[in-house]
Amino acid sequence: MSAGRVTPDQPGERVGATAKHQVASTLSDTRGFRNQLRAWLESHRASCKDSLSRLVRQPLGSFFTCLVMAVALSLPMGLALLLENVSQLGGSWQRAAQISLFLELDSGDTYGELLRDKIAEHEHVAEVQWISREQALAEFQEHSGLGEALRELPNNPLPGSILVTPEVIDKETLVALLDELKSLPKVEQAQLDLMWIERLAAILQMGEHFIFALSVLLIAALLLVVGNTIRLHIENRRVEIEVIKLVGGTDGYVRRPFLYMGVLYGFAGGILAWLLLAFGLEWLNVSVVQLAQLYGSEFSLSGVPIEDGFSLLLGAVLLGYIGAWLAVARHLRELSPR
Amino acid sequence: MIRFEQVEKRYPNGHVGLHELSFRVRRGEFLFVTGHSGAGKSTMLRLLLAMERPTSGKLLLAGQDLAKITNSQIPFLRRQIGVVFQNHQLLFDRSVFANVALPLQILGLPQEEINQRVSLALERVSLKEKALQAPADLSTGQQQRVGIARAIVHQPALLLADEPTGNLDPRLAAEIMSVFEDINQLGTTVLIASHDLALIARMRQRMLTLQRGRLIGDGEAV
Repeated sequence: MSAGRVTPDQPGERVGATAKHQVASTLSDTRGFRNQLRAWLESHRASCKDSLSRLVRQPLGSFFTCLVMAVALSLPMGLALLLENVSQLGGSWQRAAQISLFLELDSGDTYGELLRDKIAEHEHVAEVQWISREQALAEFQEHSGLGEALRELPNNPLPGSILVTPEVIDKETLVALLDELKSLPKVEQAQLDLMWIERLAAILQMGEHFIFALSVLLIAALLLVVGNTIRLHIENRRVEIEVIKLVGGTDGYVRRPFLYMGVLYGFAGGILAWLLLAFGLEWLNVSVVQLAQLYGSEFSLSGVPIEDGFSLLLGAVLLGYIGAWLAVARHLRELSPR
Repeated sequence: MIRFEQVEKRYPNGHVGLHELSFRVRRGEFLFVTGHSGAGKSTMLRLLLAMERPTSGKLLLAGQDLAKITNSQIPFLRRQIGVVFQNHQLLFDRSVFANVALPLQILGLPQEEINQRVSLALERVSLKEKALQAPADLSTGQQQRVGIARAIVHQPALLLADEPTGNLDPRLAAEIMSVFEDINQLGTTVLIASHDLALIARMRQRMLTLQRGRLIGDGEAV
């Protein structure tokens, strides 16, 4: 036993100043900062180990709690990932906002190509494609099913056209660009399906709002799940908590194992959610690839990016911690010794 | 060590637990508090443990006024006190050793020192060989001794016991009292609440007698 520490023969040594100061001075005088730090770390290690062993001793109950958390986490995250995947069809969205410029019939290929190059230099234009009168006719013959009838026509009735893919899908920018392109020489007609763009933007916004609302609801549900689980653990350990408080355990000491429990639930729930998402997207991808192939596309869903996975894990741990903190803070007053 | 000065404890329902109680306890003293049920014995112990606060008067423990103690100071105050309950309050999901080690773990002592101190405490109550057993495997008397070992393991300045022999036969009760005497010999102040007058008389120590919250006697038990 170190010098100066209270021994069985010196029980009165702690008596004197206030209780907190007495104990504090005893510890600081005899044990030093490093020993106190070691004791603090040891206390954390013991709490973490104890919480882990309690979860392991109830594997089924712990698993289902984590599974509920995983489902609650993976739903909004999965939807967000799907939306991100859909938006990666970027080219397609932008093509939906393409401006078609129909030139006068006598414009000629040389002028069309010159105009294409000029438009390509515009800051709000991502891509430009020239479709000559001959190409337009050939495509029309192929896709319309009127090939034979069109061959009977004495002249090609279709004009040369330029397809302009805008850089950004923004209504005002598009309208300005449309007006600018419309005023170019030999442009007979300029077309832009604004209604479709507005619908698209509304759909995307609705998707984002839906995911946000779902996230808020599921986060609240998740906090309740963790809070309720921790509350049950507190109830089961009520006698232990009362004894701990009677022998000098601080609120922090009482709180610590439950916070670790929340963190462990969060961690396990986060891992499970990551796995659910990874396997879920992989499973869905089979159907998506098949569907995309039917449309002649090579589109496929991308998996869970590693940074998103870690964000999910961190969020789950934080939610577990917050849920546990709320539960313990709420019940700590009721845990006074009786 | 302990000073009650006109301490009154009145509950919201009007019941008076303690009525203008005044007495002093010197450091290293051994005393009993006796009285019938509802006399105020448990209220006195609850006040000393800062589980409740006096309604009026001054209650000093080791120089600290318990009427003014802050909530954050209470755990540090309790670390100077050992408590023995009538129903032991042992944790049945852990071993005897782990039960006794609890106050030391709260203090954050190194494991090596915890092992030494727990062994010493269990030796004092003659239960060293039962360290790894579960409390449920022990007799009532042995469980009570485990409770005492837990109360003394951190060498408190004050030991409080609430009816520690209430469930024990006279032979076991005498054994437990002998353990308390040994602890007191080491300098710890011991305050025992008990209504077992025959046992108290055998101990020939100071006795406070309470009746309906009032102190009606203070002297050596005969």
